[in-house]
Amino acid sequence: MTTTVPTSEPTPTPTSTSAAFAARVVDAVKLYGTGDTRVRALDGVSVDFPAGRFTAIMGPSGSGKSTLMHCAAGLDTLTSGSAFIGDTDISALDDRRLTLLRRRRIGFVFQSFNLLPTLTVAENITLPLDLAGERPDPEWLDALVDTVGLRDRLHHRPGELSGGQQQRVAVARAFAGSPDVVFADEPTGNLDSRSGQEVLWLLGRTVRQAARTVVMVTHDPVAAAHADEVVFLADGRLVDRMSEPTAERVLDRFKSFAPHPSRRR
Amino acid sequence: MTSTRASVRLSISSLRAHKRRFAGTFVAVLLGVAFLTGTLVMGDTLRASFDTMFGNATAGTDAVVRSSNVVTVAGESQGTRQPVSTGLAKRIEQTPGVAAAAPDIQGAGQLIGSDGKPVGGQGPPTLAGNWIDDPKLNPYRLAAGRAPSAPGEVVINRGTADRGGLGIGDTTVLRTPDPVHVTIVGLATFGGQDGMGQVTYTAMTQADAEKYLTPKPGEASTIQVRAGPGTSQQELVDALRPVLPKGVEAITGQASAAENRDMISGAFLSVFTTLLLVFSGIVLLVATFSIHNTFAIVVAQRTRENALLRALGASRRQVVGSTLVEAAAVGVIASAAGLAGGIGIAAGLQALFPAVGFPFPEGALVISAVSLLLPLAVGVLVCLGSALLPAVRAGRTAPLAALRESAADDSAASRARALAGLVLLVASLGTILTGALADVSVWLSAAGAVSALAAFVVLGPVASSYAVRFLGAPLDRLRGVTGRLARRNALRSPRRTASTATALMIGVAVVSLFTVFGASLKATMNGAVDRSFAGDVAISAPAFGAGGSGLSPRLAPAVDRLPEVATAVGLGKGVAEVDGAGRALTVTDPAALGRVFDLGRVDGSLKGLGVNGIAVSDIEAGKRGLHTGSTARLAFTDGTQQNFTVRAVYDRSELAGDYVITRLAWAPHRAQDSDSLIAVSFKPGVATAVGKAAVAKTAAAYGNPDVQTRSEYAQSSAGGIDMMLTLVYALLALAVLIALLGIANTLTLALHERTRELGLLRAVGQTRSQLRSMVRWESVLVAAFGTAGGLLLGGVLGWVLVEASVGTGDTAFAFALPPLRLLVVALVGITAGALAGRRPARRAARLDVLRAIAAE
Repeated sequence: MTTTVPTSEPTPTPTSTSAAFAARVVDAVKLYGTGDTRVRALDGVSVDFPAGRFTAIMGPSGSGKSTLMHCAAGLDTLTSGSAFIGDTDISALDDRRLTLLRRRRIGFVFQSFNLLPTLTVAENITLPLDLAGERPDPEWLDALVDTVGLRDRLHHRPGELSGGQQQRVAVARAFAGSPDVVFADEPTGNLDSRSGQEVLWLLGRTVRQAARTVVMVTHDPVAAAHADEVVFLADGRLVDRMSEPTAERVLDRFKSFAPHPSRRR
Repeated sequence: MTSTRASVRLSISSLRAHKRRFAGTFVAVLLGVAFLTGTLVMGDTLRASFDTMFGNATAGTDAVVRSSNVVTVAGESQGTRQPVSTGLAKRIEQTPGVAAAAPDIQGAGQLIGSDGKPVGGQGPPTLAGNWIDDPKLNPYRLAAGRAPSAPGEVVINRGTADRGGLGIGDTTVLRTPDPVHVTIVGLATFGGQDGMGQVTYTAMTQADAEKYLTPKPGEASTIQVRAGPGTSQQELVDALRPVLPKGVEAITGQASAAENRDMISGAFLSVFTTLLLVFSGIVLLVATFSIHNTFAIVVAQRTRENALLRALGASRRQVVGSTLVEAAAVGVIASAAGLAGGIGIAAGLQALFPAVGFPFPEGALVISAVSLLLPLAVGVLVCLGSALLPAVRAGRTAPLAALRESAADDSAASRARALAGLVLLVASLGTILTGALADVSVWLSAAGAVSALAAFVVLGPVASSYAVRFLGAPLDRLRGVTGRLARRNALRSPRRTASTATALMIGVAVVSLFTVFGASLKATMNGAVDRSFAGDVAISAPAFGAGGSGLSPRLAPAVDRLPEVATAVGLGKGVAEVDGAGRALTVTDPAALGRVFDLGRVDGSLKGLGVNGIAVSDIEAGKRGLHTGSTARLAFTDGTQQNFTVRAVYDRSELAGDYVITRLAWAPHRAQDSDSLIAVSFKPGVATAVGKAAVAKTAAAYGNPDVQTRSEYAQSSAGGIDMMLTLVYALLALAVLIALLGIANTLTLALHERTRELGLLRAVGQTRSQLRSMVRWESVLVAAFGTAGGLLLGGVLGWVLVEASVGTGDTAFAFALPPLRLLVVALVGITAGALAGRRPARRAARLDVLRAIAAE
């Protein structure tokens, strides 16, 4: 099955600035708190997310998977180490540049509360583009709306949609500006299994058909199985990678970390 | 008992946890209560100080003998009394029980300061009189120098000397109104102070006073009497009564002091304190809306918490109670702080007034129980009242609400509300129109105004969605998605937006009401001069009718003799009772009046009124049933009565007054002679500048009064209005400030509700400056809505006030909308909205993105 990578030694990562990677982190360390309450959420993680691929980050709660995603996406800053979007070292950017980078090059799908209740579905989808003052590519947008299947709901408010529909709108928004990478943080966590399947299928299909990059955090082996590759995290360290995952393989691998006393991040 | 304790414990822990939320409420109550307390304490202190001052000054006077004939004209604080004979003093001194008696001559006399400008005369009287040698009968005390003993020597009060840059040994001119050259030989104090408030006082020898201040020698205004040892004031008055001639009365010194004090209180203090009380009322009303809003939001945000309490077994009463206890606690603490602040304000003003030249009498602050308990009660009641509805709503929370997701109050405007508001609005407009136009009544109009305000409050939530949509329409184009978000956020909870804006609306409404009314007053005065003044220049006494000593009656003839001048007519003032009612008379040369005034249509002729003819304005004639040829009975202050034949009825009374008689007819009844206005017209071909220079040169010898062209004259008669408006604006600034605190507070609370949304926006690429701009624009929209409502309401109410005044007043009243000033009001409101949004915007922009997204 899979081989256990020694947790003391991080997985070797390419040091070249090849554009083959949509995002990567190098020697990422993230500390929370001080003194006795200090927690090492990330303990020297180096990982890359290849362009045009759907990567899932898995790990038990407290493993640091969300922290890894937040730091890779420029929502949070590393204590030490660096994070790249393409060739851009985002650990060197100030808040304004980081915001502009998020707006242009990153898409987000969160677990819940993804949409602004005051905006219509269409307005929510184009929000990042509107914030940037850019015109959306109408063909791409059209294709997206059809892919997520919400053409008849474009002028509704999010409050009038089901949870699954809302999450599909969020997916459309994440891809609307053709970002370098879309980060999804437990996108199915709040959905029933059928809606969840739809969202995952949507993510995967967009990656494969339009050559997009998605990085998804999840603790659900079924969700992880939709990805091209799964990265396993435990105790703030990268412990394994798995290509062509299936739900069973992921679950088996995952079980080997489960007995670990989980530390709250 | 225990259940109450539980409520109290809950509210205290909630207060502690949400100190920030209540900061705005706290400040609003504090400011309102401080304003109220300051007003009450200052009023009491001033009143007490004046009491002490008059008590000290007139302590030696046991009785005052004066004429019992008095004519009071509506709008004047003190009646006009006929003089008494100075010879009476001798007779009184021989009465048993009398130690001393001295004639007291009182008239008007305005000093010219060292800079050539008159001292005072902008309101408080400028008095002149005789120096009474008996120190116990003279309210003034010599502080330096000596008493006047030779013609032309005067003593002036120290405050006047300071203001005019005058000192002992200086010579100057005293306008009585004839210019008298005087030498200052002494400085005096009144009741231990530098003067009686801002009143200026010049004392001359008795001979000078009789010569310049009374129509004929041997007359005095009153006779001041001091009792011998063992005679009480009342005994003295009883003893004097039999020796006094008919038409002369005696009152005790205490009664006289009380009359003087009441005159000051009535003329100055009560107007002043009433004005301040009205404004503290407005401030507290504005505060009420702000506070109500805070509680409404807090309760809405706490729905889940309250529902949990209910689920755990808290009774409805306990939930209501805990909110009310919270309100009461905020009210008590803020009111107590406000009390301290108010006393501080009063103490500050006491220190500040003398620094700006207003002698605030010394002495400890008078802090009565009323000035403490009333503001405290009002503060707590305002808090409790504002929190009552939200508290009841909190009590209605269903236990199930604990399980629901949404906690925000986004209730929209109901149809019932719209209907009720419209009915109320129509009803109040009907009342207003009836009160203003048909059945003219200020009270009816005022009732309509109040219900119109209520209608605006009820309709607020309905109007807010339309107004914000309309006002915010340009934002989409100007600010793109940021503007759109701001507009949608302002539209989210119409009720909340409306009640936040209502506080500002009330402030702006009062501001624009005064602005419109002031502009209308000005337009009226300008219009009056435009219509009625047909001359080229006017010489007017400062502060028509109040301070100043008027113009020398010899000035008009002197100007008339100038080669440039065609006609110069002086207008003096007299009083008489016409058919039993006190009325002001215009004393002039009626024949020439028509050449400098446009009196409109005249029935009969103004020529040859003689000693028993009178001209009456159309309006007054209509009221009294007079017409040309009919007879009016005039009673003068000297007790004489005379029938006058109405020889002319004229249309325009704005400058000429309601009754015109000749100088000859007035001469037997006159007091100190003076003109209040001289209207001058030039011969054809004389340029205004040339003519004005010639008139000014002549006037220089008569105490140098202002010579004004038509437009200058029109402006100066309206000049006081700007001063009044400035004061009103300063007072209302506080109300507007509280309203803005309310906006800032509501916004902060609303942003707190939207924390996750803000986090999402930031995550998908909203920059901090975009976020700040979004919040600021939301604040601007709310402020713009309030400002627009306020301008509308204030404009309508201003119109009502003007129309109601037209109906009840004698003169035509022009309604004017000052576009520039109203535009400034609008801009100030909107700019202030942007300022109110600054702090919440900065705080929101500092939010940590991740924590915001993860927030509950």
